Amino acid sequence: MNWVGLQMLRNDRAKFAAMIVAVSMAVFLMQNQAAILATMLSMTAAQIREVEDADLWVTEPDVECFDQVKAMRDIQLMRVRGVPGIAWAAPLLKIDAIGRSEGGRLNTVTVLGIDDVSLAGLPRRMRVGRADAIRELDTAIIDPGGHQLFFPGEPFRPGRSLRIRDRRIRIVGISDVAAPFTGLPMLHTSRSTAAALNLGEQHMTSFILARSAPGTPPEQVCQRIQALGGLRARTTEQFAADAMWFYGSQGVPMLFMVTITIGLIVGAAITGQTFLMFIKENARPLSMLKVVGTTDRQLGIMILLQGTVVLALGSCFGSGIAAAVCNLVRTQPFLRSLYLPWQIALGTCLALASVTGVALYASFRHVRGLEPASVFR
Amino acid sequence: MSATDSTAVRCTGIRKHFGEDEARVEVLRGVDYTVRRGELSFLVGPSGCGKTTLISVIAGLLATDAGQVHLFGRDLAGMPNDERILFRRTHLGFVFQQYNLLQALTAAENAAIPLLAAGVRRREAVDRATALLERLGLSGKTGSFPRQLSGGQQQRVALARALVHEPRLIICDEPTAALDHATGEAVMELLASAAVHPDRAVIVVTHDNRVFHFADVIAQMDDGRIVGVDPRRRSGPVPETVSPTPPSPLSA
Ligand SMILES: Nc1ncnc2c1ncn2[C@@H]1O[C@H](COP(=O)(O)OP(=O)(O)OP(=O)(O)O)[C@@H](O)[C@H]1O
Ligand SMILES: [Mg+2]
Repeated sequence: MNWVGLQMLRNDRAKFAAMIVAVSMAVFLMQNQAAILATMLSMTAAQIREVEDADLWVTEPDVECFDQVKAMRDIQLMRVRGVPGIAWAAPLLKIDAIGRSEGGRLNTVTVLGIDDVSLAGLPRRMRVGRADAIRELDTAIIDPGGHQLFFPGEPFRPGRSLRIRDRRIRIVGISDVAAPFTGLPMLHTSRSTAAALNLGEQHMTSFILARSAPGTPPEQVCQRIQALGGLRARTTEQFAADAMWFYGSQGVPMLFMVTITIGLIVGAAITGQTFLMFIKENARPLSMLKVVGTTDRQLGIMILLQGTVVLALGSCFGSGIAAAVCNLVRTQPFLRSLYLPWQIALGTCLALASVTGVALYASFRHVRGLEPASVFR
Repeated sequence: MSATDSTAVRCTGIRKHFGEDEARVEVLRGVDYTVRRGELSFLVGPSGCGKTTLISVIAGLLATDAGQVHLFGRDLAGMPNDERILFRRTHLGFVFQQYNLLQALTAAENAAIPLLAAGVRRREAVDRATALLERLGLSGKTGSFPRQLSGGQQQRVALARALVHEPRLIICDEPTAALDHATGEAVMELLASAAVHPDRAVIVVTHDNRVFHFADVIAQMDDGRIVGVDPRRRSGPVPETVSPTPPSPLSA
């Protein structure tokens, strides 16, 4: 009987196709929007998470995210280093400055000054060159988006330079760090280089990166640091979560949720409506099946199977399109961090399936209510 | 009732109404109707007299207000729903005026539906249906879809669907009404030769007095009652095709 149900579905090409298109489009729209939202949120935390050598971040008390920079006094670094359970602590300097390429392109850049001694916070992944080349004064590595912005169309190759605050900064490598939420080029330099760029300002430390000693839980170390007073200490994941929450609570996710919800409702409505129509138009054949002894249970399974086929095919197409679009977009250096987590892919499909399930149930009720004797009329 | 009882269908005092209050119509007003095994019984009467309602009741598709229906000694009304469906699936075959073939399936697949519903594997079901269609003169058409078949051919597919599972009672509602005379005659002839079997009863509801000569019995219905039963010797080309032993309804 299931086979008969599939034949009926296949035979009604117009509705079958319409339902698959509706599911595909809805799944694509939802996955695309959810992926952008997830990517945006993860971008706000990426610079924190990418510092894998440290497991805790110490900041001024009111700092909520990586983009809020508050100068820290050098004494704070000493205090942190004195806390029991700290393996090491290193400063990280973050400044924004205007960069200008030889070709005359101007853009604000984010400069991260990495502790010269420990190199804590040095990018782990490089596209071109070695990260530790920044030990040399007035050198930097740049992220792919920054490279494209300043040197459009040029291959990723070291050797170009940027003028920042009257110093010539030589690019010695292209990093592969995640794209930042700000969209600004990311330059990693030594802290000495960054400090030279920041001349005349007292600001030498923006964050303190630290690692807990083996055997001491980082949360416990954080408590000890906070007990010193005047400091905020968080594990990497806590700080990343705070950053995402900080941006996430600003209302932008609402806009995405609206689009996702519309996708869900429109997709489920069109699919469900079309399915119900398909079932209603087949009332006569279905009644005939009841007359010849098909049970409601058999018909229910048949409907479930028909719905599953529609949803599965549409979900596959939709997810495929979403993945293809995502991969296409990712080739743009500034959008390189766009990703489509499988949880989102699966979640959107399941969400659509459960809402469409209402229509499947309504279709089943319709079939159950069919008067078999009506076939004689 | 004993298994040797020759009664296939026994209706006693069947009452059935539709609608309520002003809209209430008493459609069956105490129907007594009997069909014996091996019998081709015609149910005739004016439009609206309740013929279709009666066969729906006999098939267990409609509940009655009063009275009893026994099929081969079994009381359908007394059965649990699932058992009634199973009984219908196993022992009853149907032919409708509108054929009611599935457009998505070929002739053979349509004819195989009762077997598929009973859980017979598709291959086997379609093979059995194909063999039956060939015997009903549709050799070249078993793979055709309903839209590619004439009315008479479609009704023959429907006839195969009614016979394929070798039921003990076949119920036909106006099987020739949508066909021209010659085609109707041919379908009825096929029905009479293929369906009639000593262990099986066939009920045919019809208006078509041109095919009355096929009947063993003509039950005349009017205004919700059987008003006359006319036993007659069938004049159509029949008995020699009827085999006394069951398995296939077609083995001749
Ligand atoms: N489901 C229903 N609801 C209400 N009234 C019904 C229903 N089914 C049948 N009737 C009424 O019952 C009466 C008998 O209908 P039925 O279909 O049994 O007649 P029939 O003898 O088969 O007629 P015909 O020869 O035209 O097919 C008619 O008046 C019809 O309107
Ligand atoms: Mg009728």
